[in-house]
Amino acid sequence: MLTLALESSAKAASVAVFEDERMLAFSIQNAGLTHSRTLLPMAEDMLKDLGKTTGDLDRVAVSRGPGSFTGLRIGLAEAKGLCWALQIPAVGVSTLEAMAYGGPVLDGQMLCCCMDARRGQVYNALFTVEGGKPVRLTEDRAISIRELESELVARQEPWILLGDGAELCYNELDREQVTVFIAPEPLRLQNARGVALAAMDKAPVSADELLPVYLRLSQAERERLARMEKQ
Amino acid sequence: MLILSVESSCDETAVALVEDGRKVLADEIFSQVALHSLYGGVVPEIAARSHLEVVTLLADRALETAGRTRADIDAVACTYAPGLIGAVLVGVNFAKSAALALGVPLIPVHHIRGHIAANYLAYPALEPPFLCLAISGGNTMLVDVRGYTDMSVLGRTRDDAAGECFDKSARIMGLGYPGGKPLDDLSRQGDDRTYDLPRPAVHGDNPYDMSFSGLKTAVVNIVHHAEQTGQAPDRPGLAASLCRAVSETLVGRTMDAAAALGYENIAVAGGVAANSRIRADFEAACRREGRTLFVPPLRLCGDNAAMIGAQGYYEYLAGHTAGSDLNAYATMAL
Repeated sequence: MLTLALESSAKAASVAVFEDERMLAFSIQNAGLTHSRTLLPMAEDMLKDLGKTTGDLDRVAVSRGPGSFTGLRIGLAEAKGLCWALQIPAVGVSTLEAMAYGGPVLDGQMLCCCMDARRGQVYNALFTVEGGKPVRLTEDRAISIRELESELVARQEPWILLGDGAELCYNELDREQVTVFIAPEPLRLQNARGVALAAMDKAPVSADELLPVYLRLSQAERERLARMEKQ
Repeated sequence: MLILSVESSCDETAVALVEDGRKVLADEIFSQVALHSLYGGVVPEIAARSHLEVVTLLADRALETAGRTRADIDAVACTYAPGLIGAVLVGVNFAKSAALALGVPLIPVHHIRGHIAANYLAYPALEPPFLCLAISGGNTMLVDVRGYTDMSVLGRTRDDAAGECFDKSARIMGLGYPGGKPLDDLSRQGDDRTYDLPRPAVHGDNPYDMSFSGLKTAVVNIVHHAEQTGQAPDRPGLAASLCRAVSETLVGRTMDAAAALGYENIAVAGGVAANSRIRADFEAACRREGRTLFVPPLRLCGDNAAMIGAQGYYEYLAGHTAGSDLNAYATMAL
């Protein structure tokens, strides 16, 4: 089963091709170029280098969020276009779970995946590792760093921080209360290898059913709800 | 040649199948008006989210309506500019990956060129050259259409688009969003000489440039003044006076250009072409001056993907295709 994996939820664009559980190729670009220009050419070139075409694909895996709204939509719209045209299934995976799969998956390790969600919050999920695979301890959520801190403290374990919010958390968390380490860079950021691995045991959906999970309403909707609450 | 076309530049998601630029086999549209009406205008983030949710459903429906399969598609066209960037990105990225996977050419289409091409769908015999006034919520421009892909802007609005002037005026008059249709309806009950609204003067050397922000401000001032003095404005009269002022500017500039450049054929394009006063004034002016008027039916005036498929065909014939690095742009010269 040939899987193309796409990741565009933050600044880096990343693509991977897997034959079942074996990685055939993987690339990441972190030059700040827009994903709309880079992501699909990366996939096209990678397949070509492997001597394959889009017609050989059995499914497309993509991070469905949380993350940059526009970045997510670029990856999801491309996955939808490929799956719709090829009539193959898609797998949308949590950006935070993909981050854990792409991280240091050593048994017993505690992984704290975080992205800067602005407005004083992080998108976060906690995992432990069993049998070489991340196991979820929490759902994906947007929470304040203080809330995260109290959860990490309560579990009394050293945590490895992953994601583009790792540095932010490292600086903001009270390190007298909780022991945290930042994962080395190649393992820290979300990437398409993690997306492909996280997608392995997930049930595929159709191109229509592939949808983002933003974890947050648009600004206009938030402000409208706040106004309604006030009244 | 069968083209699958995608439009997502503002608050309409649309997918169409068009043969040889002229024959519409399917023209699927999902309008987001209900989603945005809560906010009194288009919310870019809500628009982009909605496009992504419905684009494949519309593509499926287009194939079903046309009775065709994916294998019949010879090329994929999409609006790549101008528009709300987050919204355009959805259509562009869907279209380019579909083109790659189908192994067919990808054709980027300028949204305004698409509006102009709506006339080819409505009038099978129409061919360039002609003069076209493109009027919508985001654009107002007078275009010298020398060929299907050879065109230049003769004049444009210096500030607000004509449609924006209508929408903002409708909002201040309490007509809701989108305001074009209710304003048009209300204007038909009023006297167009009730209010002496300014005919926007544009300084500079281009006789075809236009301006609508002063007109919008005049409407705002009339409504505010009426509120402060406790006298209700004559709303039908104000709507009629506004439609007349906008129409006189648009029709006047267009007829001047047609006379100066010697064009027999005049086309109108874009959502504001649905305004009944503008249509009637154009009909009268063309009859008076012996010119032929082309105005697409209402369905083809608003945003749709059939027009993108029509223009896409001519862009393809001119060799204008793109690779998978095609990007979307908020603004782009015609």
